[in-house]
Amino acid sequence: MKKRIIWAVATLLSLVLFAGLPAWAEEGVTDTEIHIGQWGPQTGPAAAWGSVARGTGVLFDMINEKGGIHGRKIVYHTFDDGYNPARTLAGVKQLQEDVGVFAWVGGVGTAPGMAVKDYLMERKVPWISPSSGSLHWITPPNKYLFASYPLYKMEAKALCRYAVEIMGKKSVAMVYQNDEYGKNGLMGAKEELAKHGLSLVAEIPVEKSDTDLKPHVMNLKKSGADTVLLWVSPKHALITLGTAKAMKFEPQWMSTSTCSDYPYMNEISQGLWVGVITTAFGDGPDSFGPLMREYKAAFDKFAAPDERWGTFFTAGFGFAEPLVEALHRCGRDLTRERLVSELEQLQYFRGIMGRISFAPFDVNSPMCRQGQTEVFIAKCAEGGDMIQLTDWLKID
Amino acid sequence: MDMKRDYYEDVAIFTSRWIIFWFCALILGLALFPFIADKFLKTYYVYVANCIAVNIIVAMGLNLLVGYTGQISLGHAGFFAIGAYATIVFMAKLGLPFVVSLFLAASLSALFGFLLGLPALRLEGPYLSIATLGFGLTVTQIIGRVEYFGGRQGLHAPELVIGPLHLDSDISRYYLFVLIAVLVCLFARNLVKTKVGRAFIAIRDADIAAETMGVNLTLYKTLAFAVSAFLAGLAGGLYAFILGYIEPEIFNMLMSIMFLAMVVVGGLGSIFGAIAGAVLLTWLDLTLRNILEVPFLGEWLKVMSRSWFSITGVSNIQYIVFGSIMVLIMMFEPLGIYGLWLRMKKYWKTWPF
Repeated sequence: MKKRIIWAVATLLSLVLFAGLPAWAEEGVTDTEIHIGQWGPQTGPAAAWGSVARGTGVLFDMINEKGGIHGRKIVYHTFDDGYNPARTLAGVKQLQEDVGVFAWVGGVGTAPGMAVKDYLMERKVPWISPSSGSLHWITPPNKYLFASYPLYKMEAKALCRYAVEIMGKKSVAMVYQNDEYGKNGLMGAKEELAKHGLSLVAEIPVEKSDTDLKPHVMNLKKSGADTVLLWVSPKHALITLGTAKAMKFEPQWMSTSTCSDYPYMNEISQGLWVGVITTAFGDGPDSFGPLMREYKAAFDKFAAPDERWGTFFTAGFGFAEPLVEALHRCGRDLTRERLVSELEQLQYFRGIMGRISFAPFDVNSPMCRQGQTEVFIAKCAEGGDMIQLTDWLKID
Repeated sequence: MDMKRDYYEDVAIFTSRWIIFWFCALILGLALFPFIADKFLKTYYVYVANCIAVNIIVAMGLNLLVGYTGQISLGHAGFFAIGAYATIVFMAKLGLPFVVSLFLAASLSALFGFLLGLPALRLEGPYLSIATLGFGLTVTQIIGRVEYFGGRQGLHAPELVIGPLHLDSDISRYYLFVLIAVLVCLFARNLVKTKVGRAFIAIRDADIAAETMGVNLTLYKTLAFAVSAFLAGLAGGLYAFILGYIEPEIFNMLMSIMFLAMVVVGGLGSIFGAIAGAVLLTWLDLTLRNILEVPFLGEWLKVMSRSWFSITGVSNIQYIVFGSIMVLIMMFEPLGIYGLWLRMKKYWKTWPF
């Protein structure tokens, strides 16, 4: 009798013990769940980009509704960092230690991302698609960090090539924000123009805090430029256009993917944005690809009623696509190392962004972690519609 | 009131044996905290403690200026930035050891504090706050335009090494930060209890009267700015290692306002207040983002937001809560948390009779 009780207790204990242990040894993965994290500024100076994180959430809702990935639902952890790096680091640490996030995706901003980069890389936590086009992500490359935002330098090259080769422009000027974003663009434009034996006729820096751009536009006008690249924030792009119109200076304006939300730019500028040529790194929200339509259906179903279907929101889908694809390819046997190796094997993967390819890790080759090298060029038409001018261009 | 029988009793840092006892208990508690956090909580709390320690150092400095000397500064993020940048530049570009760099950076920050103190001699109230606000904004603009400081691309913090010690984890950095914070508190307490502190308080209460009593206004006002800036610079140098990466945008105006809010909410003109304010506001700043995950309350906030406001803006609730806490404290207790503490002490004084 006594022996039986001991056996029963022992069985019960072992059952409890083993039930407590996760079936999968990898952090953030259980039999039925995969934990994915992202931060996004829902408040503060960069709150407009908060829709990236919400877009990713809708994509995961859509996937979960279809039954998840190989029987595992995605549990999505997101938090507001207010674009304050100290808070980003706090949130990432807390989630990493409390929940044990399997991988991070997206994450708006260079400064918040840089604050958490070392922490994630030391712990070998994969991080896919930081949402800013900084060279910091790939110099030096990290084994667990996969960038899919195209480099600003590349966008500038694409635009210059288009202006010179297709449109036959000769005098290109550039207005650039005096930071990493603007300077990378400047570098690209100079390199590309040098190939054609040209140089910029004017390089005009703008500070983030500037509000009056009259002197800047005056200099542009004096330079006699027929094409002007605007490597600035949407706000400054609009001020430049307005000021130039008042001064009767009407070159071909060109701008970056940052200013490629046409309906929005067109509405704020009251039609001034029509005719502006920009690069884009993802299909427009109103394009007719089957995948985009599927996402739109998910948006209608899962997104909050006052959510806007814009480029930042769809970017949230796009940034998470390589991760989702790699998770599918991993199958049931999901570990971080496996995920990294599947990501490395992505070749010309096409979602709603340009084709994405990574390569096996090599410290000396930053491009092995820069997935996307493609953009297309488009023009804003009446009413903010997007006219695609070129196919996807691969620029290096 | 405590009765003082001679001068040395008045300037003593510890006024009674009980205070020494509780101080030792506090130090012991602080020393054990990482182990407790590691064992029962998460090391995330050690990170929060590090942020708090850094903010205590700034608040202590700002309190000397605002609470004790009666000058205002809305530009402390500027001194903070100078400290952070100078520490990293001295270490990474000039190859100086950490302790030397940190001290030099704080001294550089103090020099700027002295310079800012000069116009402060002739400015008061809102005029002074605008002047200091301008200073804070200018510093980040200048740093952002100088390539040597990394411009807008920012700088990476090098490895934190003191002699043979590599402080590469939150826990190891915790001991350094807390040690410095405790020393700063003792320094501040010593300062306000002695000649310099009395001069500060005299200037705050009536600067003309102070001058007629023989207090050198030029010397003490600029000194207050320099000391305050020194501590802000010191904290900035430590903050650079919390983040591991700095760029000018981090040191924005909101940061200066946060520093000022810590001092005001904690209680102007008290060491305890500066500590309490820094602890409360840092903790709120770092944890209020989780307000929507609080059981019941979070759900309720979401439902309310969905039906009355916009659900995409629900995160803004944290600022409403943040602001309300500050307003409530100031409304019911102008002396801030320190005032609450005084009242509590008074209430329990005769207990249990």
